[in-house]
Amino acid sequence: MNSDIQISGTQSTPTVRGDWETGCLTMQGDSYPENAFELFDQIIRWIGSFLEQNRLPLRLELQLVYLNTSSVKAMMDIFDLLEDAHRQGRPVSVDWRYHAENERIAELAEEFREDCTFPFAIEPKQATP
Amino acid sequence: MHPLLEQIEALLAAPDHRDHPLHAALGQLYRLHIDEQKRLERLLNIADGYQQFTQTDLASLKQQYERQLNKERKLSRISDRYQQLMRERNQALKTAATHDPLTGLANRRLMDEQLIQAGVEAVRGGKPFCVAMLDIDHFKQINDRYGHDGGDRILVSLAESLRGQMRAGDLCGRWGGEEFVLLMQNTSLEQAGQIVARLIEYLRNLTFAVTDIPVSITVSIGVAEHSMVEAPLDTVNRADRVLLDAKQEGRNSYRLAG
Repeated sequence: MNSDIQISGTQSTPTVRGDWETGCLTMQGDSYPENAFELFDQIIRWIGSFLEQNRLPLRLELQLVYLNTSSVKAMMDIFDLLEDAHRQGRPVSVDWRYHAENERIAELAEEFREDCTFPFAIEPKQATP
Repeated sequence: MHPLLEQIEALLAAPDHRDHPLHAALGQLYRLHIDEQKRLERLLNIADGYQQFTQTDLASLKQQYERQLNKERKLSRISDRYQQLMRERNQALKTAATHDPLTGLANRRLMDEQLIQAGVEAVRGGKPFCVAMLDIDHFKQINDRYGHDGGDRILVSLAESLRGQMRAGDLCGRWGGEEFVLLMQNTSLEQAGQIVARLIEYLRNLTFAVTDIPVSITVSIGVAEHSMVEAPLDTVNRADRVLLDAKQEGRNSYRLAG
């Protein structure tokens, strides 16, 4: 696999877009799918292939709101994957954006960031009408 | 090497003893012993190595276990916080669905539920409840004069006054527009009459601050007591009808449904 990944979002799943050429993976929305494994398996495999085959830096742009337990677990696995890559000298980064009025999401992002040593920004998003 | 073994080795090697009758047997015994000793050493080496291997294995297992445990703890912590977030959001949605956003009073939907509940409890407990419908007099003129913002401000202040003046167990709701509903449980029509009489008096003497102009308002109220045989919404309708009477007979007063 060395192509883009594109998963349309639904009420219970995030919109996912991975650009192989620019090394940017975006995920936005809520995530409480019936089968979290199926959804995140594709994403984790894409990240794995990218880190293996592409030498570009990998950047995750996240705008996730509600995550169920399986999704939290999957995100932790993704951050572990990035952490391993970072320790091997690969440039990886995460940019987590949240609505300024929802400060609680920022606190949760901070919990995720706890054990990560790669660049992990948590920033309020400009309100969009 | 053990001194005894050295001595035996020397004895076996000495040419003088070569013809001794025990020479051959001793020689065999000596070689057997040396072989056994080598085997024992090899066995010990293997056992030591195995033990060391198990120890390293155990340490790495322990490390793995601890890492896993930390991950599980982190997962539970984050997951719990998301759940808490959802619970709070549900609560906020529930409040939004059951309360009037302007005044914060119960909305019509919640009052409907409360009225039905009051009806059930009244029948069960044999104690009556009263419903009062309250309407601000000439509210249209207030709106025309002070604008909708001014009107809204008066609605908010009136809601605060109602909350402050009613008894702890009474429920106030916004029925719509400038109309409010009061649910007084365990209350007879006579008691309810006294309560709304006091309320009218209190509101008449109150001034509301709209921008920097003090504004006075009056209200009209119709009160009905729930009869055990009627649906609570019929009680509301009866209260509404006498409210209309109060309006038509000059406002700034209350009427009790007979």
